[in-house]
Formats: sequence, structure tokens, C-alpha cells
Amino acid sequence: MKPFGYVAAKDSGHAVALLAEYGKGAKVLAGGTDLLADLKNSPHPPPDVMVDISRAADLKGIALTDAGLRIGALTTHTEIVDSPLIADTLPALAEAAVVIGAVQTRNLGTIGGNLMTCVPSMDSGPTLLALDAQVTILGPSGRRTIPLSELFVGPRRTSLGFAELLVEIVIPKKNVGKPSAFQKFGLRKGQALALVNAAAGFWGGDGVFAEPAIALGAVAPTVIRAPKAEAWLAGRPISEEAMAEAGRIAATEAKPITDFRASAEYRLDLIAVLVKRALAGAHARVTPNQKDLAS
Amino acid sequence: MNVTLTVNGELRSASVPPETTLLVLLREHFMLTGAKTGCDIGDCGACTVIVDGKAVNACLMLAAQADGRTVVTIEGLATREGLHPLQQVFEETGALQCGFCGPGVIMTAKALLDENPSPSTQEIRTALAGNLCRCTGYVKMIDGVHEAAKMLQSTETPALAAPQQR
Amino acid sequence: MAEDLLERAPDVLEKPRAAPVETLRRADEGLRLPAVAPPTTLPLEPPLVPQVGEQTRAVGLRAQRPDSRYHGLGLTRYIDDIALPGMLYAKIKRAGISSARIKRIDVSKAEAMPGVQAVLLGREIPLNLFGTSIVDQPLLVDEIVRHAGDGVAAVAAVTEQIAQAAIDAIEVEYEPLPGVYDPLEALQPDSPKVHGGDTNIYFKKLIRRGDVEKGFAQSYRVYENRYTTPGIEHAPMEPFTSIADWDANGRLTVYASIGRITLARVDLSKTLRIPISRVRVIGTIVGGNFGGKNEIRHEPVLALLSKKAGRPVKGRFTRVEEFIASTIRHPMIMDYKTGVTKEGKILARQIRMVLDGGAYCSFSETTLGKASILAPGPYAIENIHVEGCVVYTNKTTSGSMRGFGAPQVCFAYESQMDEIARDLGIDPIELRMKNFFREGSMSATGQVLHSVKVIESLQNAARKFGWEVRS
Repeated sequence: MKPFGYVAAKDSGHAVALLAEYGKGAKVLAGGTDLLADLKNSPHPPPDVMVDISRAADLKGIALTDAGLRIGALTTHTEIVDSPLIADTLPALAEAAVVIGAVQTRNLGTIGGNLMTCVPSMDSGPTLLALDAQVTILGPSGRRTIPLSELFVGPRRTSLGFAELLVEIVIPKKNVGKPSAFQKFGLRKGQALALVNAAAGFWGGDGVFAEPAIALGAVAPTVIRAPKAEAWLAGRPISEEAMAEAGRIAATEAKPITDFRASAEYRLDLIAVLVKRALAGAHARVTPNQKDLAS
Repeated sequence: MNVTLTVNGELRSASVPPETTLLVLLREHFMLTGAKTGCDIGDCGACTVIVDGKAVNACLMLAAQADGRTVVTIEGLATREGLHPLQQVFEETGALQCGFCGPGVIMTAKALLDENPSPSTQEIRTALAGNLCRCTGYVKMIDGVHEAAKMLQSTETPALAAPQQR
Repeated sequence: MAEDLLERAPDVLEKPRAAPVETLRRADEGLRLPAVAPPTTLPLEPPLVPQVGEQTRAVGLRAQRPDSRYHGLGLTRYIDDIALPGMLYAKIKRAGISSARIKRIDVSKAEAMPGVQAVLLGREIPLNLFGTSIVDQPLLVDEIVRHAGDGVAAVAAVTEQIAQAAIDAIEVEYEPLPGVYDPLEALQPDSPKVHGGDTNIYFKKLIRRGDVEKGFAQSYRVYENRYTTPGIEHAPMEPFTSIADWDANGRLTVYASIGRITLARVDLSKTLRIPISRVRVIGTIVGGNFGGKNEIRHEPVLALLSKKAGRPVKGRFTRVEEFIASTIRHPMIMDYKTGVTKEGKILARQIRMVLDGGAYCSFSETTLGKASILAPGPYAIENIHVEGCVVYTNKTTSGSMRGFGAPQVCFAYESQMDEIARDLGIDPIELRMKNFFREGSMSATGQVLHSVKVIESLQNAARKFGWEVRS
């Protein structure tokens, strides 16, 4: 690797101060699984200073708060997989975390880092997007909270401003416990990028698709929602045919590309199948009165 | 910059440039060459070591990030009393052919067995997904992990298990 | 100080000094291997390995790799685990363009960089060409770049990082030339010629037996199919790595994970123009070969860098270089024409194949030969015509890889056997049984075969994979 400077941040506030101090030459280092791999083969100049946030304890942790389920940006994928709280409330998050990279990368890589790469194929994105996750951003002028959808701007581009740091992800209280599921298809089962991934969730206690949400990855410049499929599904009686049709509609809302991993046509087919499976997975988690119990 | 960490039970320090990875620290500064440089970008798992109980790619962690932590490498598994059951079983079952991926596979398997003493075949497969092998194939490795799990459970002080008489 | 010493009581050695265990342990700090043999020792020779000079029954015995204990302990010294005192690190600048003429190359910035000890260009290499049959591959390109992985300059520096920075600082100006990337296009008369001349074909093979036209005329049906296979990288877990040490007496020692040491010595001696007696190659434990480590790659370059710098030089390929600058399995295009009787007996088989050789020859001659010989498959066929050629393209060089062309043709002929079986409505295993070689059968090249076990093998296999109970 090319030479760079290094400074360890004690906590999120310190990290933001360091980012402000070093300006454009600074780069945030969390788990490092994407950043260091990129830096090794990069033809571009290295950052002047690497602001290592991996020791900032306030960025870690999974907890239920008044606002909802809070996940610290520095929480590793393994911590999400192992969390009893997530297994209880939103197992779809663990489904997405457990297919990221391999054990070794899951032990290092963080959910915040995964979101901040802003690659369309990220596995953390669809479930969080389907659950209307909010992200909290800390900057020199304080904290602000925006919907996750507003964080994503384009491939490898987020809306974060100068010296800002993603500190936590919050799944709003109304969606904690919402039956949901995540599906991924890669060329291998482990250590592979998604050709397509999808998440879906809905309340189904009354036998109809209530508040359906569908999100797709690797089929557009960023992770996207499938509003037409959601609208079509809303209020319909739950059936396998409806799930399949929602998958077909979702495919019309995506703009996948052809690359060396798969063709656009293949990805369109995958969307239909994965959305159907994600809906079926969510349905398997439906129990009576779930929504009332959650709120 | 100075880094100090516990490696295989000993406190070690080195002065390294910030861009030094844990892998380079171990191999070039501590002369612990058991962890290998295969792809250097976290795909192949040949550099796997255990940091604070978790298997990680040493090529994707800066030495600075390992400061103050506890690292176990393949060199830290055998004790004066004998081989670690994984080492013994992998040797006996021929799970190590060219052997280049071996240290990484064994460290990943050790981290797995430390957390999950009797993993299912699927759990072993999932754990080893990040360790690529081109010669041996994975069947003997998976069998070996099962076998080692049994050995570890059947001995009183597993880590100190003496090699069995053959 | 000196007085101090003089006044001290003499330190007489009264009994043999035994170092305390802690001191011994210090000798290999970090390693927790027994410094003093514990009551239960750790024998380094596994028990199931036949020892030198010992006559053992081999068949039916479970054998153990002699080196597997070291592998498991992490103590095996692969080439990258070796470091010599004062060793430098080398990097090679890759062209990154697949067909071009080098107009200008400026290494002055690299040479001026602190820590850079030697820079090497192709013209400094005594014989800048190597190859196992056709000697056509430059170690570092001087003028014409024939594929993106061609090296154009090399640097040795005190760290890998400085070597890479120096490589990045080398300026090369290219004049792009037309290239050819498809083996069928490469056959066209008007295609760009990778090595000049009037053709891209550099080896041909023809095998004839009987009269295929007569066979086709007698056939109930004739099948014509095209099969293609892609290039495949060996991807050994251990990247190419070598250390070259040119000593003051003009002797060269190369440590390398090369499978063919004698060939490496010959090539080093030829390219460096030094007597072979001055070249020593130490083969290290190989971390995966699969045919990819059969010939020299960057060793003469490392040797000359070592000579220039007066220090040992290590070079290690990155994973990217493994893919672009090593060799791969030959991509092949195979046209199979097979005539059969109504019962499925093959009367004639005509095969035309084109091997994509990439930019240089490497082991193409061997590969084409073996692919052609094996192309008709393990079937007794009276009339055979095999015609093959290998062509240059501006792509990664194809070389030796397990089977030397055999897996590619096997994919083709077995695929066609399945298509024939499906079309004739014959069980695919039965179709093969009808046509297999038998004791005393003659191959396309006239070899009379003995100990033919292919029928029994397939019968056994079919039983084991449950062919009878297929749905």
C-alpha cells in the first residue's frame, strides 16, 4: 500500500473533529474490508490521514430505544448475526448480514461501512431500506437524521457532507417486528457479490398484504424500493400468485446492467424470483396480532 | 508508529509505518510466516489469524488496529505437549496437500470450534467459505473439523491433548 | 570499564553450561514449539511415511504426506517465507495495453527515487527471449507489446512499497497497434499478425486413419457440432515468487517454486549467457502448481536486478499479475463431425480444432499434440481425421495446465456422445460401451492398446452413481 498517515478516534465526536481538522485528505477507516482492499490496487493517491474509528465504542451496539431499533454504525456483521435482539425482532437483518463476504470479513466489516461504500450490490441495504430505516449523521454542526434512501446518491456516492460521519441506523418503532425476509443470489453461496438481492416485508395478520415494502439491490445505481409492486400488493389477500405477480412488477421497476457477472435479462428474471421468495419468507414470519403487539 | 500486541501469548512490539497491515507485521516484523499472502485483498483466507477470538483476514487489518489486542497465529496452536487436534487430524486425513491454504483453514476452523464445539457440516462449510483451496478440496477438511471437534470434546484439557498413540 | 572487567572474579566454566529454557525459547520467539523435548516428543516425521531405504508395501496402505506436519504447524517455508539479509523487492511494470509499439520509455524518475537500487530494461538482458519450443517470449518487452501483461521494465528497491512507487513513476509512451483477440479471426489472411510474417498459425497437427469420407457415406446419421472452452487460470494459492542472488563470484542462486528445475537452469543460462554450471536453482515447496509453474517467468529479470544491485532480490506476483502475466489453459474451438450406424456404432469422426495460444508459444506444441491425439476419445473408430492448429492472439499466453488440452477435447467428444445418444434414443452409457476401446484396439495414431479397462471403469462408475435408478 502507498504511505498514509493514521490517527485513531476515541469516539464519534473526536472522529468528526479529526475529519474537520484534516479535511479532504482524511478518510474514515472502520472495518477496512472494502477500503484497504481498494487502496491496495488503487492507482489514485492515498489519503493523507486515515481516521480510524474502529475503537469508538459509542458507535457500537444494538438496542431498542424510544425511536426504534438502534444499530451503531460500527456494529460488525457478525454482531448482527449473533444478536438475540435482532433474531427476535428483525431476523431479516441477520439474513442479510450472514451472506456478506465470509466469516473473516464479517468479523471485521461493519454495517455502517457497508452502507457507506454505497455500491448497488451491498447486502445491508435492501432490508434496511424496506424497513424505512433512518440514519443519524454527526457533523461539525451537530447531528441530523435522514431517511436511508437519502443517503444513497449514486454508485459509491453518498450525501454525506464535509467532515460528517454516519453514526447509527435506526429502524423506526412502527416497523420493529414487521415480518420481513431477505434473499440474495450470487455466483457462490459464500464470498460472492449479489447478482441481485431483495428484501420484502409486510404485516399479514389480517390475511392481506398490509404496508408491503419491497427493496432491491444490484439492479440500479443504488439500492431501490419497488413502489409499483408495493402499491399493487397493498390490501390484496395473501397468496402465492400475488407474490409472484409482485415479483414480476418489481422487475419492471429496475434497470439492471449487463456485466461480466450476469446479463440484464438474467437479473430481471432473478428479481421476480427473489421478490417472490422474500415475500414468502416474510409471510412465514407472520403471526396473528403481530402489529398490535409491536406498537 | 509503535504497536504493541499479544501474539501467541507473548507481548510483542514493533515500530511500523501506519499503512502496515497486521499480515506484514506478523510475517516481516515478527517472522511469523505461517499466515500466507495469497491474494492480499481478503478473498482467499490464506492470511487468517484469530484476533480477540475472531477469525479475521490479517491482510485487511492495519497493524495499528491490532494494537493492544490478542492475536493467535498458526504458530500458537501447538503446545509443548503436542499438536492441536486440528493439526493432528489434518495431517492424518491428508487435508493438507500443498499446504498453502492450511494455516488459514486451521485458524478459521479453530475459531469456529472455540465458539461452536460441535458444528454441523453446513456450519463448517459456511465457516470455511472464505478459505480457498486449489489442491486438496474441501471434503477432507470438513471431515477433519468434525473429527477434531470430537477429539476436543473427549479430552479433559483439549488444547493440551497429547498426540494419540497410533 | 576495562578496570571493572579486570577486577571481576574470573568466570570459570565449571560444568557444561545449559541454557535456561527461557533463553532457548527466545531463539524462536513466538513459536511455541518445544525448545527442550518434552516427555511426549513431537516427532517431525509422521509415522505413515515410508522412510528412505525402507521397503514398504505401498498398495492398500494409507499414506501420509511427509511434509504435512510442517504444513499444519505453519512451519513449511514456502518461497515467500524466505528472506535473505539485505534482500531487495522487485516489481515489474506491466504494459496494460495489448498491442502497441513502445515509442519512448523514461525510467529517470524511478532511478532517482531514494531506495531504488536497480532498474532494468529489456535491452539489458543478454538474450531477451525464452520459450520451450519456439523461443518467442521476451522477458521484458523492448519494442512490441503483444499482450497487456507484458513486462516493460523492472525495479528493485529496499521495500515493496518503494518498488511500486518507482514502477508508477516510469513513463512509457505507446503507439497503439491493431490487435487480434479471436482465434478464428486470427486465421483470416487480413488479420493483424501478432509476430509479423504472413500467418498467426504457429503449429499444426494432422492425424489421419482410414477414410472419413467413406465412413460418413456409410453412416446412418452424421452429427456436426461446435464446442468451445474458455481460458482458465491455474490460480494457485501461492503466487509466483522467486529470489535471485547473484554473488560476487558470478554465481547465481535462484530460489523459486518452479516445478522443473533443470529447465529453469537451462533457460536462466541461455537468457543470461552464463554457463549452466554457474546457475543453481533451489526448488522450494510449491504452493500449488497445476502446470502453471513449469517454466521461468521473471527469474532472469530478478537475477539481473540482483547483479546490478549487488543484493538478493525477491519478486512476488500480485494476484492481478497471476491472471494477466502468467499462463492460462488454452481456450479451444472444436468442430466435431461424427458418423454413426443406426445402432450407434461410430464409423467416422472428423475433428477440426483451433487453439487460442495467446501472445507467446509456451507449451502450445505439447498441448496441441496431446489434444489432437486424444481428440477422438476412448473409442475404437476406423476412420479418423484430426486437424488442429494453434494461433497467436493479443491475449494472455496459453501454456501448460493439467492435461495439456485433454480436458477440452474430452468436454467436446463426451458432449457429442450425449447428443448422439439423445438423438438415436440409445442409453448414453450403452452408446459408449458399444464404441469403447477393447484389448488390442488401435488408436488414431496407430498405437495398439493393452490393459484396456475403460469398459469396467464405466460399469463400476455407473453402478456407484446409481445409473440404474435414474429417473
